[in-house]
This record gives sequence, C-alpha cells and structure tokens, in this order.
Amino acid sequence: MAGATAELSTALPEPVRAAGRFVVRWFPLVILAFLWDVVSGVVGAAVLPPPTVVLTTLWGMLSSGAVLPDLGVSLYRVVWGLALSIAVGVLLGIGMARSETVEDFFEVFLGMLYPVPKTALVPLAILWLGRGTSMAILIIFLACLLPIVLNSYNAAQVVDQNLIWSARMMGTSDRAILWKIVIPSTIPDIVTGIRQAIPIAFIALTGAELIGASNGMGAIILSAGQLGTYPRMFAAIVLISATAFLALRGFDRLERRVFVWV
Amino acid sequence: MGVSAGAERRDLGQRLKGAVGSYYSLIVVLVLWEIVGRLGLVYYNFLPPISDILLKFWQLTVTGVMIDQTVLTVERALAGLVIAVLLGIPVGILTARNDLFEWFWDPVIAIGYPVPVISLIPVFMLWFGIGDVSKVILVAVGAFWPVALNARDATRGVDENLIWSARMMGTSDRRLLWRVVMPAAAPGILTGIQIALPISLIVEFIFEMVAGGGGLGHLQILGARNFVSTQVFAAIIAIMIVGLGLDRLLRYAREWLLAWE
Repeated sequence: MAGATAELSTALPEPVRAAGRFVVRWFPLVILAFLWDVVSGVVGAAVLPPPTVVLTTLWGMLSSGAVLPDLGVSLYRVVWGLALSIAVGVLLGIGMARSETVEDFFEVFLGMLYPVPKTALVPLAILWLGRGTSMAILIIFLACLLPIVLNSYNAAQVVDQNLIWSARMMGTSDRAILWKIVIPSTIPDIVTGIRQAIPIAFIALTGAELIGASNGMGAIILSAGQLGTYPRMFAAIVLISATAFLALRGFDRLERRVFVWV
Repeated sequence: MGVSAGAERRDLGQRLKGAVGSYYSLIVVLVLWEIVGRLGLVYYNFLPPISDILLKFWQLTVTGVMIDQTVLTVERALAGLVIAVLLGIPVGILTARNDLFEWFWDPVIAIGYPVPVISLIPVFMLWFGIGDVSKVILVAVGAFWPVALNARDATRGVDENLIWSARMMGTSDRRLLWRVVMPAAAPGILTGIQIALPISLIVEFIFEMVAGGGGLGHLQILGARNFVSTQVFAAIIAIMIVGLGLDRLLRYAREWLLAWE
C-alpha cells in the first residue's frame, strides 16, 4: 500500500494524490458494504436489507423531514444532559480539588456511582421522572458526570501553586483567583473530559430512549423493529451512529479552532 | 480555599476505585433518607426508607432470586467479554503488525467504535431472538472495539528496538509474538479489557430491560413497571456489587499478570 502511494506521489499533482489517498484509506468500507450486500442476498432482504435500500430509506426520512423531530429531540436531550454534567462536574471537580470539606462530603458518593453502569439506572429514573425527556437528560447527566469531574479535579490539583501565591501576594481575592487562574488553567483538561463524555452521552441516550421514551432515535429504532419495518430500523441506527461520529469530529475541530492558545 | 498538598492526594479516579477517605457523609445521607421516608415526607415509591430497601434485598437474596438473576447476568456478560477478548486481541495485534490488516481494519475500527452498540438490540432480537445467544453475541460486539483498539495501540507502542534485537538473536516469528510483543503490549491490552468490562455490563443490562429473559436488568425494570420501588433499589444495589466485584477482579488479575514488571 505504502509503495503504491509513494509512486503516485511523484507523478501526480497534490489534490489528485490527496483524493487517491482518501480512496485507498476508506476503500475497506466499500468492501464491507459489498459484503453486507452479499450477505443480505443470502439471508434475504427481510432479515438484512441491502445497504442501498437502507441508504434510500435514510435519504427519504431526511428529505421528507419525517425523522427530524425525533433527531431534534435526541440532540436536545444530549445537549442538555451534557451541559448539566459540565456545569455540575466542573464545579464539583474544582471544589473537591480545592477544599477538603467538599471532597470529604462528595467522594464517597462518586465512589458509589463509579462501578454502576449509569445507563442501568433507567428504571429508577423512570420511577422518579416518568418516561421521556427529563428522564433521558438525568441519565445522560449521570453518565457524563464522572469523566468531567475526574478531569477537572486532576487539573485543578496541579494548578501551578506559584501562580496562585503570586496572585495572592498581589492582593487578588479568592473569587478572582478561582475565575482568573484556576478555571482557565483547567480548561484543557475539562475539554478532554467533555471529549470522553460525548460517546458516553450517545450510549446513555440510546439506552434511555430504547427503554423509556416514545420519541427520539432510540424509540424509532425500537418501534421500527417491533413493527417489522426493518429498513427504517437500520436507517435510524445509521443516522444516530453518524450523528455520534459527527458530534465527536465536530468537537475536535471546534477544539482546535477555539483552543489554539492552549 | 484550603491549599492542598498535591503529593499525598493521589489521582481521584484511582482513589474512587479503591477505598475513599471519608464515609461520614454517606451515613448522614442514609440517616436523613430513612427519616424522610419514615415520616412520609416524600411519596413512598419515590424514595422508600433505606431499611425497607435492605429488607427487600435480604428477602430476594435468601429466597435465591437475587443470586439466580445475578448469576444469569454475570454469565452472559462474561461470556460475551471473553469472546470479545479472544477476537479483539488478535485483530488488534495483527492490525498493528500487518500492513494489509491495518489497511482493512483501521477505517472499520474508526467507523465501528462510535456506534452506540445498544442501538443494535432490536436488530439482534430480529436476528438471534431474545435468548442468551443474542445477548452474548451483542455483548461481544460491544466489547470487541475497545479491546481491539487498545491492543492495536499498545502493539504499535512496542519499542521496535526490542523486536529488532530479538530478531537479530534469531527469534522465530511465533516466539517473537508470544515472548516479546504480547508481554510488552500487555498493560495496554489489559486496559482495553478493563474499558470493555463496563460496556459488557451496560449492553447486558439494557438488553435485559428491553427484551427480558431474566437477569438484574430485567428484575429492575419489572420493579419499575409494577411500581415495587424497593425491588428497583435492591436490584441497583446488586448491580453496584456486581460492577465493583468484577472491576476488582480485573484489577487483581492485572496486578497478577503484570507482576513481572
């Protein structure tokens, strides 16, 4: 592979070479789609709809706009769950790192939350909040909380003490130290925590919607499966996976653009 | 704002996995929980008194229900995890060591890793039914990606000098794999398995909640459907114990396997 690319590189202009590399790099997915097609021919389109049918169905769902309300609801839940976990997680992480009292109080609860797969708390969340959006937000919030707390805690612990001392010597108030020194210097790690939380948020979302929601992508997948409209079920799975993938890629791109100074 | 002595306070994540420093707040909250429940300040099913929950847990345990369901869940989750490990490690190592494998698997891993595997539950119900086989295979699919990804990255990180010097001394390819590559990549591979463990449990619990067929997830969702909230909480206690127990087990296995380091 490498040899072929190297030969190309001397003969062709850069855009063509870049396109060539792209095709070579992602070609295995074409093979996979071909295998999918073959298997679907063997087992029957009812059990595994061929990729073309799934993509056509997906296009139909998107272009008619029929799926957009559910996709919107799912994104709404992810964004709110993540936002809450960031707000609470950063405060908790920094608070625990800077104050023994706060740490002693919350540590044991985080320790108890740690071994529980948070998505497995859906029934409890249904008991508390009923089925639907607030339940899903609670589950996403809980699932994303730990990575954000851990990253901001560890970052706030290693904030350069010299910075804090010199600020204090110059008469900076504790509050200003928090906002001007501690929080800015922990931002790169908080960003890492958010990045770890994004895939977790989508897993939690899907779990919550499969079990306890009547709208959203998870609910579409389940109901399409129960009704036997399998192309729709597969199209919905492709759509939510692509959304998770793009959310992560988009976040990386945003991070590079916004945090150039880090 | 207490200035902390960073050196003595270890990494919080490590600490949460072991023994935490202070338990007083847990006792305070449990006592408040009991009082609030006993005084009827909250709706019973919302937050039953902790004593009722523990009683329910005890009853379910002595009648054998809890133990049976726990065994079911753990069996299926571990069976899937073992399959994922047996497939994921070779795929990961080959992807790191072989150009053709790398070319094929790299984009597949890039696309497969972010798929929320539990969205495939309805698909697996269609393909393999709602029984044990279906659950075990889906657990294996979910646990495969972190195992393969970490095995790949760990193998890529193996010092090439080690491999060259072993080759120079005439080590065969097979011995090179077992005696040089695997031991050097072992910490990363084990990390992949540790990441895969909670994923196996999540897939297993959610599958049980959606499709039934026993297990702790099923027990918990039945509690919610029948409005027996003590059963919901009791199942969560069992889930906590299972999660903690398996996590500990893997960490002991890791220490034992890496003792030579």
